[in-house]
Amino acid sequence: MRTPQTQPATGKTYPTDTPVDFVVIGSGVAGASVARELTRSGFDVVILEQGRHVPPEDMEHDELGGFIWPRWINDPELSPQTYRKTVNDKAERRPYAQYARVVGGTTFHFTGNYWRFRPIDFNEFTKRGAVAGAAMADWPITYDELEPYYTAVENAVGVSGEVSTAKGEPPRQPYPLPPLNVHGPGVLLEVGAKKLGWSSKAAPMALLSRPYQGRQPCHNCGFCLAFPCEWGAKSGANYTMVPEALKSGKCELRSESYVRKIETDASGKVTGVIYFDKDKKEVVQRAKAVVLCANGAETPRLLLMSKSNLFPNGLANSSGVVGKHFMFNGGALSDGVFEHEINGHKGPVVTRISQEFYELDEKLGLVGGGGFDFRVDVPAMLRTLSMPPDYPTWGAAFKKEMRPWFSHSLLSYAHTTSLPVETNSVSLDPELKDAWGLPAIRTTYKEHEQDMRLYKHFQERNHELLTAAGAQKIYPNPIKDEPGSTVHLLGTARMGNDPKSSVVDKFHRAHDVKNLFIVDGSSFVTSGRGQPTLTIQALAFRAADHIAQFAKRGEI
Amino acid sequence: MSKQWRSEEISRREFVGGATALGAVWMFAASCARETPPPPAESAMAHAPGAESVAPPQELHHFSAAQAADIDAIASRIIPTDDAPGAHEAGVVYFIDRTLLTFAKEQVPLFDAGLQSLGTSVKEKHGADATFAKLNAEQQDVLLKAIEKSDFFGAIRFATVAGFLSLPKYGGNKDYIGWAYVGQEHAFEHKSPFGWYDRPENQQALLGRVL
Repeated sequence: MRTPQTQPATGKTYPTDTPVDFVVIGSGVAGASVARELTRSGFDVVILEQGRHVPPEDMEHDELGGFIWPRWINDPELSPQTYRKTVNDKAERRPYAQYARVVGGTTFHFTGNYWRFRPIDFNEFTKRGAVAGAAMADWPITYDELEPYYTAVENAVGVSGEVSTAKGEPPRQPYPLPPLNVHGPGVLLEVGAKKLGWSSKAAPMALLSRPYQGRQPCHNCGFCLAFPCEWGAKSGANYTMVPEALKSGKCELRSESYVRKIETDASGKVTGVIYFDKDKKEVVQRAKAVVLCANGAETPRLLLMSKSNLFPNGLANSSGVVGKHFMFNGGALSDGVFEHEINGHKGPVVTRISQEFYELDEKLGLVGGGGFDFRVDVPAMLRTLSMPPDYPTWGAAFKKEMRPWFSHSLLSYAHTTSLPVETNSVSLDPELKDAWGLPAIRTTYKEHEQDMRLYKHFQERNHELLTAAGAQKIYPNPIKDEPGSTVHLLGTARMGNDPKSSVVDKFHRAHDVKNLFIVDGSSFVTSGRGQPTLTIQALAFRAADHIAQFAKRGEI
Repeated sequence: MSKQWRSEEISRREFVGGATALGAVWMFAASCARETPPPPAESAMAHAPGAESVAPPQELHHFSAAQAADIDAIASRIIPTDDAPGAHEAGVVYFIDRTLLTFAKEQVPLFDAGLQSLGTSVKEKHGADATFAKLNAEQQDVLLKAIEKSDFFGAIRFATVAGFLSLPKYGGNKDYIGWAYVGQEHAFEHKSPFGWYDRPENQQALLGRVL
């Protein structure tokens, strides 16, 4: 019997004209985590979320609505974006930087790949040196500084996984939950890895394998990536951090509240925010401090929109790097067709992974690395529409291939690094406005030549892995020099010790504004290896810990 | 901005690469749903729990009977009926009829022009009284082969697959027969093993252990 989790209410009510301890902008994994942690430290928090609160009865197995209709993501007519490959190109209207505009942010319908970073992800610049055309830099924090927060997050949300002792894996505590049951793609990944002698392990997933903290485990419905979980088994912010923050009695969640400006006074301190409520009426919420967690595209946009006489280049942008170094996580994909039924459309998206090439042999002359999973991540409609080019496209021959293709094929998916390039950016479109009259997001993005080589290298490894797993036919997907659109939004307000080249310090405080903190994917200095969400959440836990200490010491 | 039912425009990396990034197809959806209220049946059930199993009545709101007959005939050559149901049994024509009133409204001219041009070809080849729907399958395939690279055919192919495999509440996939044909079940729960490879005995044979 299907028994959906019930959604929480909106919490306590705070007045708008009295400064609340903290306004948190965004209820995604970063904002909701910061709010939850700050309420646990005793502070009052108002969360402003531009999207709506989705009730469980709206959570359908609706592939058309989930993927093709802008049901959870931005409506391209209301919130249009533009894209250009280089600064010399004219930007064309096109949705590019994608995220879910709902309570819980993109974790509302994520896959839940919860990979930790490794030590190399924080100091690759020192270890491997400069890269021409890329703004490589070390993070101002180390893996060891973040490690306790990784553990805290994993226990707080319920991550399923198994400890691996393979080469390169830092030691760690056991996962709070055992691995998810393996599915066919997972078995085949293990078959290929075993034959090649590659390391492999159960995928660490923010998806419950057992009941946890009153939530139900995954029921293997299979409508997962891009679908909200009607069981409440996905450990996204909407099922974990948001209700916990509200339960504290110290938090108010205002959905459909779209912030257009962070306000500052003559001394350069933040005084509050101006937002549109659901009727497009402007509201001013006063705050003692603001934590900006709007995601790697909306965060720089809001900083750039918050310019004033004191901050003519945008708020917290004396360095000029707000919006720059936009990174996505690259990768390579190949389809494989196998002899027997896989039915990878049932169960979690991912159950086993290989991180054999997390770090690459220096002799290859490549920067970064990556990991692999085998998956079928879209339901029948999109899977059928993505048959390889040598398949028939209509008629009896097409119909005959529909079922074998759907049941016997899978994707080998390599997730990789992508480099921070100064000219890859989020900026304000000078002409196009959204339905609220605010400047549209303009993305400028072209893959670094080094990344193209990395993706091709991983495409070759996909081929090896699929071959070793016994694939009868392999179809590498084309690798292009721009991804078409993306969901991992990273690097646009980077952390650093030097105010001249970074936006926030190692505690996520804006260099230029004492009571403004910024934490989300924008904080990343480099991209890691493909799965950023756990690191975003660990950064949020860590930032909240330090912010609470600053507040208690009167240092905000 | 392109707004086409054309699968070849989808970058596969876009939609497999991340949550909801669907580029061109997503753009297709755009604002039309908001501008035109959906046919009555949909608004009533859109947000009711369990709504996904409720199909609207098979009624035409956009196409004329003659146009619908041709659309049904084209869809039936894309996913023909054999010993298993095809586009006709799934009610794909009703799905397309509804999409052209709602989120594919901008493609009405493409469909109108496509049908008209196909009708002209039919009459040139088979006489003034002929219609596409009345031709035999072989004659129909010859005509479709000639236009298979056209925007119109790309759009109707995409829409036929979508109508065969999207929730019945959108008008096609009647009684989930499209899902049943490809092996996707209408269920909120599955028990492993899901296929051949994750059966314990096959894991043992392939890996020497059961994961």
